[in-house]
Amino acid sequence: MGLKLNFNLDPRTKIIILAVLSFMVFNDASLYVSSILVLIPCICLFFSNHKKSAAIYVACYILAKLIQIYILPNATGFMAIVLITFSYTVSRMLPILMMGYYTISTTKVSEFIASMENSSIPRSIVIPVSVVFRYIPSLIEEIRSLTNAMKMRGFGLNVKSLKNPLKLIEFYMVPMLISAVKTADELSAASLTRGLSNPEPRTHLIEVELTKMDYTFLAITCIGFGIYAYNFLRGVLIA
Amino acid sequence: MLKMEDVSFAYENNDSGRNLTDINLSVDKGEVILLCGESGCGKTTITRFLNGLIPNFFNGNREGNVYLKNESISEMPIYEISRHMGSVFQNPKTQFFNVDTTSELVFGCENLSMSVDEIKKRLDSVVKDFNITHLLDKNIFKLSGGEKQKIACASVSAVFPDILVLDEPSSNLDSQSSWDFEEIIKKWKQQGKTVIIAEHKLFFLSDVVDRVIFLENGKIAKEWSIEEFKNIDHRSFGLRQIDLDNLTCKRNEYYSQNREFLQLRNFKFRYGDTQVLDIDDVKIPKNEIIAVIGKNGAGKSTFANCLCGLKKSCKGELICDGAVLNRKDRLKKTYMVMQDVNHQLFTESVLDEVLLSMDEEDVNLAEDILENLNLIHLKDAHPMALSGGEKQRVAIASAIASKKEILIFDEPTSGLDLKNMMRVSENLKYLQNLGITSFIITHDFELICESCSHIIHLDDGKIIDNYNVDDKKLRDFFLNQ
Repeated sequence: MGLKLNFNLDPRTKIIILAVLSFMVFNDASLYVSSILVLIPCICLFFSNHKKSAAIYVACYILAKLIQIYILPNATGFMAIVLITFSYTVSRMLPILMMGYYTISTTKVSEFIASMENSSIPRSIVIPVSVVFRYIPSLIEEIRSLTNAMKMRGFGLNVKSLKNPLKLIEFYMVPMLISAVKTADELSAASLTRGLSNPEPRTHLIEVELTKMDYTFLAITCIGFGIYAYNFLRGVLIA
Repeated sequence: MLKMEDVSFAYENNDSGRNLTDINLSVDKGEVILLCGESGCGKTTITRFLNGLIPNFFNGNREGNVYLKNESISEMPIYEISRHMGSVFQNPKTQFFNVDTTSELVFGCENLSMSVDEIKKRLDSVVKDFNITHLLDKNIFKLSGGEKQKIACASVSAVFPDILVLDEPSSNLDSQSSWDFEEIIKKWKQQGKTVIIAEHKLFFLSDVVDRVIFLENGKIAKEWSIEEFKNIDHRSFGLRQIDLDNLTCKRNEYYSQNREFLQLRNFKFRYGDTQVLDIDDVKIPKNEIIAVIGKNGAGKSTFANCLCGLKKSCKGELICDGAVLNRKDRLKKTYMVMQDVNHQLFTESVLDEVLLSMDEEDVNLAEDILENLNLIHLKDAHPMALSGGEKQRVAIASAIASKKEILIFDEPTSGLDLKNMMRVSENLKYLQNLGITSFIITHDFELICESCSHIIHLDDGKIIDNYNVDDKKLRDFFLNQ
């Protein structure tokens, strides 16, 4: 294993952080608060063997913020539109995307089920959501084959297909939906033969519990979010 | 152990009669039973009766009774049945609930609420039995087909079932992995487990099966001991060969008289630090049916993708009729018929599918193409509503319509019975007649014997052999592994 740090947050922590970050899309937080919150996905990615993604993410974010602070006030015309679009998309969406990427790439399906059941969330919610986790790698394979199939038919990023973008979407969606239905069907049959419908509580080989690390991350998130909410509400009240 | 008494069944949406009629079958403890017959003969339906998916998942009109250790199965909830019975399915993509191997191995035990200590013990024991320490804690999606099926078998074994029901488990396996699969069944047999296996591909089963049940139109038509079964004429029952030694290649001569060649130059592809494809310069006869063989991971799929021009970083050139085709040119001249054809049918009718591929829509020409591929009666049908073989022919039709000169087939006969395999072979010959060169990535020795005239043997990304079909060499590859 080498020098691999044993860093892993509980799925519950990941989901709470993800929810808080998503909330922050709605409004611009003060620089200090948002900096702390956007650092969370970066730290998570860095310590779970996604160093490259972490570095690219932080670089993009800093670039976007620098543009907002130093260039935007003086920019005019078409260039301003481009810069605004870029910097705001990055500064607001990227943290959520990266946290989502971290959550999905580091959470095992079994871990997710175990932690949700530990918090007594009903199985009728846990199982469908865990199937979504499970389906993402299939979906990626699927999109790759579809793209290849379209390239061979002369569709792709070219004039023929851009003339009719709706058709292009249809060509992606129909096979994807059909295969999703088929996968769901076969997967449920297979899971049934493995006793998934047993009403007794499941046992879990994998151990999940909230550790000090989880509480630290949750505390930082809560404080950051508290300040953000306070500022936001004050702004609303004054206005 | 297991008993089916006067079982008849018709699926809910089936108006054309019964899927199973008067099945009487009794299986003793420790027996290995093979269910065989054409596609749609009812093999899979029988396995669904045994593992409880009928009536717990598939609805329909059912008569008769199935007994497991003298208890009627239809009274049991499916999770009770799953304590005694493990099921392995055809499609490795959809039988896993987890993404990582270890969680998948213990999934069944967790569902049945076994204690954590017990689960650990069982995990250790199956890991040892199946020799899969190296596969623990891996992403299932990154495993080869053979490894996936091994994980599937080990996961159902972890529940320690007495009976195993396998529904076409080898469809996606190469020949080496099929022989490995034989070892797994042998292990189960040694442990005294009862195994019921529904299969088209038979060659890896001759030493392990005890009894063969032959189904026809939902009825048990014949029953043989394995010794009797080895001596019947398999073709006359529409079955695949059980002994590959009986096969001989039919295409020792090339199809086309004027020996022209395709030349491949500098086909290289790296994936991370590994060179997965490494071809300097090679000549391959044009307008032939060429089988691309090699072990799993030898670079066959990468070869196909590069040849089609789907891999940007592969700078290879194809020289055809004196013209040098780069990647973008090849995208126009080549077409791959994928293993999962569903990915390449986009439109709402078979005719539209063909028209979409034409530069200028020409309904008459499109109908001619459909006529020749025996699809004209389906021209208004939705492509997704067709059978697997029909979908494959629609994909071929659209390739012909877009005037492709080179076709690549990725495992066109995986999971097909004799009749459908012969149809694929007819289609390949038809394409040869049109002047098209076909490359077939395949593990199917029978298909190669029927139709292929040339072989490319890949290993470690290199072409290690390039020859006119030769019984001896092929046999060395397929049998002596």
